[in-house]
This record gives sequence, structure tokens and C-alpha cells, in this order.
Amino acid sequence: MPTEDLRAETPLIEIHDLSVSFPGSGKCAPRTQAADGVDLSIYPRQTLAVVGESGSGKSVSAMSILQLIPTPPGNYDRGEIIWRGRANGGNADGDNLLAYSDKQMRNIRGNQVAMIFQEPMTSLNPVYTIGQQIMEAVLLHQTVSRTEATAVAEQALRDVGIADPASRLKEYPHQLSGGMRQRVMIAMALACQPELLLADEPTTALDVTIQAQILELLRKLQREKNMSILLITHDLGVVAENADVVAVMYAGRIVEFGRVETIFKTPMHPYTRGLLRSMPVLGRKVDRLDTVMDGATIPDDFPDGFAVQPHDPAFKPIAGRGRYGGDDARLHEVLPEHWVLCAAQKEDAAKKATRPQLDYRRASEVIAATS
Amino acid sequence: MTKSTPAPAPGNSPQNGGGATKPLPRSFIGQVGMRFAGQWGARVGLAWVVTLVLLAVFAPLLASSHPFVWKADGEVSSPWLEHLTAVDAVLLLSFATAMVLLIFRRVSVGARLAAWAWLTSLLAAVAATRSAQQLLESQADDGPGLVFVLVVLMLIGLGAILVVLPIASAAGGRAKLTVGLVGLLIGGGFWFADVSPPANVVYSQYREAAAAERVDWMVLPPLAYSPNDYQRDAMSATGVDPRLLPPTLTHPMGTDEGGADVLSRMIHATRIALAIGLIATGIAVALGILIGGLMGYFAGWVDLIGMRLVEIFSAIPVIFLLIMIVAFYGRNLYLMMVIIGVTGWVGYAIFIRAEFLKLRRMDYVQAAHACGTPLWSILFKHMLPNGVTPVLVLASFGIASAILTESTLSFLGLGLVEEPSWGQLLNQARRAGDQWGLTWFPGLAIFLTVFAYNLVGEAMRDALDPRSAD
Repeated sequence: MPTEDLRAETPLIEIHDLSVSFPGSGKCAPRTQAADGVDLSIYPRQTLAVVGESGSGKSVSAMSILQLIPTPPGNYDRGEIIWRGRANGGNADGDNLLAYSDKQMRNIRGNQVAMIFQEPMTSLNPVYTIGQQIMEAVLLHQTVSRTEATAVAEQALRDVGIADPASRLKEYPHQLSGGMRQRVMIAMALACQPELLLADEPTTALDVTIQAQILELLRKLQREKNMSILLITHDLGVVAENADVVAVMYAGRIVEFGRVETIFKTPMHPYTRGLLRSMPVLGRKVDRLDTVMDGATIPDDFPDGFAVQPHDPAFKPIAGRGRYGGDDARLHEVLPEHWVLCAAQKEDAAKKATRPQLDYRRASEVIAATS
Repeated sequence: MTKSTPAPAPGNSPQNGGGATKPLPRSFIGQVGMRFAGQWGARVGLAWVVTLVLLAVFAPLLASSHPFVWKADGEVSSPWLEHLTAVDAVLLLSFATAMVLLIFRRVSVGARLAAWAWLTSLLAAVAATRSAQQLLESQADDGPGLVFVLVVLMLIGLGAILVVLPIASAAGGRAKLTVGLVGLLIGGGFWFADVSPPANVVYSQYREAAAAERVDWMVLPPLAYSPNDYQRDAMSATGVDPRLLPPTLTHPMGTDEGGADVLSRMIHATRIALAIGLIATGIAVALGILIGGLMGYFAGWVDLIGMRLVEIFSAIPVIFLLIMIVAFYGRNLYLMMVIIGVTGWVGYAIFIRAEFLKLRRMDYVQAAHACGTPLWSILFKHMLPNGVTPVLVLASFGIASAILTESTLSFLGLGLVEEPSWGQLLNQARRAGDQWGLTWFPGLAIFLTVFAYNLVGEAMRDALDPRSAD
């Protein structure tokens, strides 16, 4: 397996200070900062869940990994995306995916990093059979004959639990149900044995029972193929069941980063707490469900004094004006293995401003038990 | 991918039958084909177009002054074969290839279509290069010859982009090798077969030989008059002026100003009618798809420049440009096709641009991009089949309008002189007097052909309309 030559402690991918902007809506409007200094890292065989509301920069960050943001109108302002660690051979700039040429990117796309999309209904090309589509991906990246590619495609369909794969290969997308199509998408993404799978809300468009099946399938395939998953979702239930590490995003920035248990048990950032509070609880009757932040839909509206909990005098409460969290706000490792976006008051606290790196995986038995 | 769309191209029509008789096509294009074939307008239109195709292919077999075989002066020979031109040979060979490919039912329709398109374009390329070489050697005229080569090369490009490339990339290695070898064999054979008829043809020699009783026996085509056989011998032999005779049994549609048989000219003119429609529209569609596709996919400033180009080109009056070109460069059918094509891409470009602007945001295009698919493959393999349908509808109307343009030009007396064309026959009708055949038959032919293409386009539009789909 390609992951085995990586030292366990080397992240598979590291995103440093990624900033992506789009033109503002008006003529003289400032550019909208879709991602604003995003720091992330994913270790081999790890599932990182990125949660946040629409427009918080989850998808932009994921698509930046594959350079899928159209430029223009988008623009990569800052940052680098280090693929498989800088120490792992290659020169300093050679591993930065953002500096890759289109030709180099084509070798990464689909081959080493694959992506599945939110809408299985529209993610497959209606004029080709699913066999042709899976085989195209295989033939692009592997030097195999067509008969071998057919075998690979058939195996890929079998892996994702589609019965009678040989005859399914000859079917067109409109002949499959939504869950089936998402399975086909996953089969297509995994046919080339990628090391990282970007799953952009893979279950949002599916009904709940199919959601569970697809997530189960992803977990199974992750174990079998030793790959990492970047799971983008706004379903906290999905996060709780699948993620090893969680990054909460808001307004283009990561506001909290930590183990999945930590985030759910002791959320520190007010946005995370709002997010968790806003989940309806089964059996509890309420008149109105909580919103994430009462009345605040854009960062400018946040009242001052959104303090980091527990109140730690070393860190400033973060103000909402201008750039969310303020210009001096960084991710600080407030507690061990728990990063929160805030501003440091003192120098020793400022030393805790580190990049979030968390080489942690839930034991597979635990995951199996919860599912 | 099964390209069983009944495109108006004549060569596709044999394959149509194969696509339509399948029990249940499961692809979108297959279903569209079924809905298309179910309409009476499509059937009538296609039937007429297929008739024209057959007439065009078999024109030398149907109407020719040259006997197929004859025994003259004790020698058996085939003047018909000796006078077969490269165009005749290409058409007949291509038709034969289509027939042979029709037998291979096991191979998919798309693959057969690709093989046919490849072989035909190869033959055409060989013929074009050959005649260009002869033109250059004889120093006769390098202008039209080079234009001809350009036209054929564009045709090959169109065929490659639209049919051959997507299917060839999906075909197996052995199939590719087989088709490639067969193509090389046929193309090479065609190159060395040296299809070059004598420059000066004396049509009356057969009738004179027969009158002088030098002929033991001969097998004549059903209509024993070539389109350019002006019956120069008629006056001395029978004492009847062969010019502008009204329809009789020997000349079912009468004769024209020069004394040539009108039916023969009508049959041979189907070639020009079909060719001008298909080639001019083919060039326009190829250009439109390329420019419109780039405009739609890249948007931004590419789109901005493209749209200005569209505005400039849509302001060009085609008829006046053609008249000007005729004035400068003489009468040349191929130049005419190129001009109509080069000025006519605007409509297709706008359609394709609109489709691509919509398609580039589709998830499956994003997915293809995320899969590492190269740009040309995204454009022509993933986006084009999904966005080409409105262009096909427009193209069938475009073919009709190209035929009308050529007829208009010929009617104005600016068309071809020697080569037969319907508009040119109609032009003579103004001076025809008693020869009513010159008015009615070419007029009806033009009307029916334009009507047929419009019926096909109309039927295709209905078949592609998602609201009419169940």
C-alpha cells in the first residue's frame, strides 16, 4: 500500500494558511474571503470531518486541494498545501499542490486524491454507461488494457456492494436509484485506489436509511484500502459516528479543532457551542429551536465578549468586527490537542498558537460498536 | 455511447434502421432516436433524403452516356469504368463500406459509424490529395484544388471530433488495428488505382459507333445520357435541334438550353445539393462547436471576445459576399461551401456557448475534472454529447438554407456552368419557352429537399423536447 512508506506521524496532507477569495457582489465591494487562513492536516487512515454552515468555506478548502476552484473568478491568495509531507523526498516547493501545474495536478486528481460530490443524481454523465465512466477513470491513471479495466470496474462495483456488477456496468445512470448512484460515484472515486478521499457532503441528498448504508460503506472501504477521508458535512450526527478529528469552520476560518469526543463533550468556541445547542434533541419539546447564534448571521453582528470557555484570562474574548475573530486571532492549543480560534493576551499564551495537527484515530471496534 | 441519433448526414441513414429496430434503447440518445423515428414527418423527410443519397451515389449507374460494357470493333471493353471519376469511386466505395458494416450486427452502432466515417474520410482524403497533386502537376489551377483539400481536411477534422475520437478511444486495440489496416489497404489501393478519366470526353462516339454498325452489343445505363452530353450529333443525325425539347419518352424531363438531358442533370445535381448542404453546414457546425465550446467553457474574456466575433460575423451578408467572391475568384463550388460555412457558424456557436455555460457547472463535469480528465476530453467527450442536441436541430435547418443559398446563386447565374445544379436549371427556365420541365422539376426538387430537411429538423426538435418526453 502506498501509505506504508509514510512514517505514521507524517500527515498525508497539510494545509497551511490557505486563503481563497472571490470577487464581491458589488463593483467596488471587497473580495469575499471564502477561506481565510485555513490550517488543516490529515493523517493516513484518519477521518477528518469539517463542519460548518453553508458558505463557511468547507467546500472551498476541499476543492482547493485539487485546484478545482476556477481562477478567475476565484483566487488563491496565500498558503500552501503540502502533499505527503515535505520531508518525504522532493524539494521544498515540489510538494505544494497549489504550485502544481495542470499536468501534475491531473496525476493527483482521481489517482491519489479522489472526490465524491453531494448530488449523486447529477454527478454521473447521463450519456455514458456507468461502466464507461468507471473505466475512463481507471484508464486515465493506470496502464491497463480495456479488459483489465473492465475487471477493475467490476471489482470496484462489487466493493461498494452492488449486486450483479457485470450487468450493472452496462446501465445508464438514470436507471439507478440515488443510493446506487452514490455507490457508483464512490466506486468511481476508489477505482484508482486514492490515498485521500474528499467527500463533499456525500449523504446530504440521500434519505436517512441510505445515508447510514453509504457511511457504513465508506468506513468499511476506508479500513480495507487504508485511505484518509476528508468528510465535509453539516450533519453533526454523521460527524459523531464517523470522524476521528473534527474541524469546525465559520466564515472561512477554522474556529475549533480537536478529537471528536472533545469537540462534542467540551466545546469551547461559542460558535461550536451554538452549533451543538441548535441540534434538536429527540423527546424534548421546545417551542423554538435554538439558532446557532441568536440573531447573528454574519460575523459583524456578533456582540463583543464571545469569550472562550472556560474563561481563561490568558486569552482575549474575540470580537466580531471586520475579519472574523479579529486580525490577531489565531488557532491556539488552549488545552492539549484542542485548538480554538482566539487572541492571546500574554506571551506565554501566544506560544500556544500552533498548527492543528492531531494524529488520532478512533479504535475501529469503537466505530463498529457505534454504527 | 451509441450514436444512433438520426443525424441528417446521408451516410448515417443506413445505420438508422439498425438503431430503430432495437427492442428498447436505454440511452437517452437511443430514446430520442425512437421518438424521432416514430414521427411521420421524420419518416417522410428522411425517406426523401435517403432517396437523394441513393440517387447521388448511383448517379453514374443511372444516367451515363458510357455503356457499362460493349463490344466495338471486335473488342470488349467498359467505357463506363474508364470514365468513372474519383468522386464517383469514393461515393460508391463508401456506400459499399456502409453496406458491409451493416452486416456486422454484433459490433455496436457507434463503432461501425466511426469505422465508416474513418474509411470514408480516408478515401476522400486520398482522392483529394490525388486530384490536388494532378492539378499542381498540370499547373492548371492551384486555387480550387487547394480549397478542395482544405474542405476535405476540415471534413476529416469534423468527423474525427464528432464521431471517431470518442468512439475510437473506447474501442479495443484489435478493432482499431483491424479498421486501421483495412483503411490503409483501401486507401493505398485507391491511391495506386489511378482514377483519372480522360480529360476530353466525346459522348457522341457511342451513338455514332452504333449508327455506323461498329458495335456488336452494348449494355447501356437506364438513362443513356450523361449530364454533360449536349447531343452535338443530334442535329446531323436526326435533323432535330436537341435544345429545349419538352419532355418525351427518350428525355423524360426534356432537354436544357445546351441540349443535355434534364433528368440526367437533375440526378447528378443531387450530389451538389447534398454536398453543399452537408459540407457547408459541417464546416459551420465544426467551427461553431469549437468557438462556442471554448466561449462557454472558459467564459470570462474568452467569451467577451467570442461574442464580439459573433456580432461581426452575423453582420456579414452571405449572398453579397458570395457574389463578390465569385467576381474575384470565379465560380467555385468548394469556395462557395467554405464561405457559407465560415460565415454560418454564428448560430451554432451561440447555442453551444449557452449549453456549455450551463454544463460547465454540472456536477458530472466537475466530477470529470476532479478525476483528472484532460481538458479536450472534458469538452468533447463529457460536455459535447450533452449539449450538441439543439445544434443538430439547427443544423438540419442550416442544410436547407445552404441548399437554398446555392440555388439562389445559381439562379442568379453565378453558380456552376458545366456541373449540373438545380438552381442553374431553374435559371434556364426563364428562357425555356415550351420546355415546362425546366421550371417544374428543379423547382419541385429544391422545394421538396428544403421541405424534407425542415421536416427532419422539426421532428428532431420535437423528439429532443423534454416536455414531449414521457
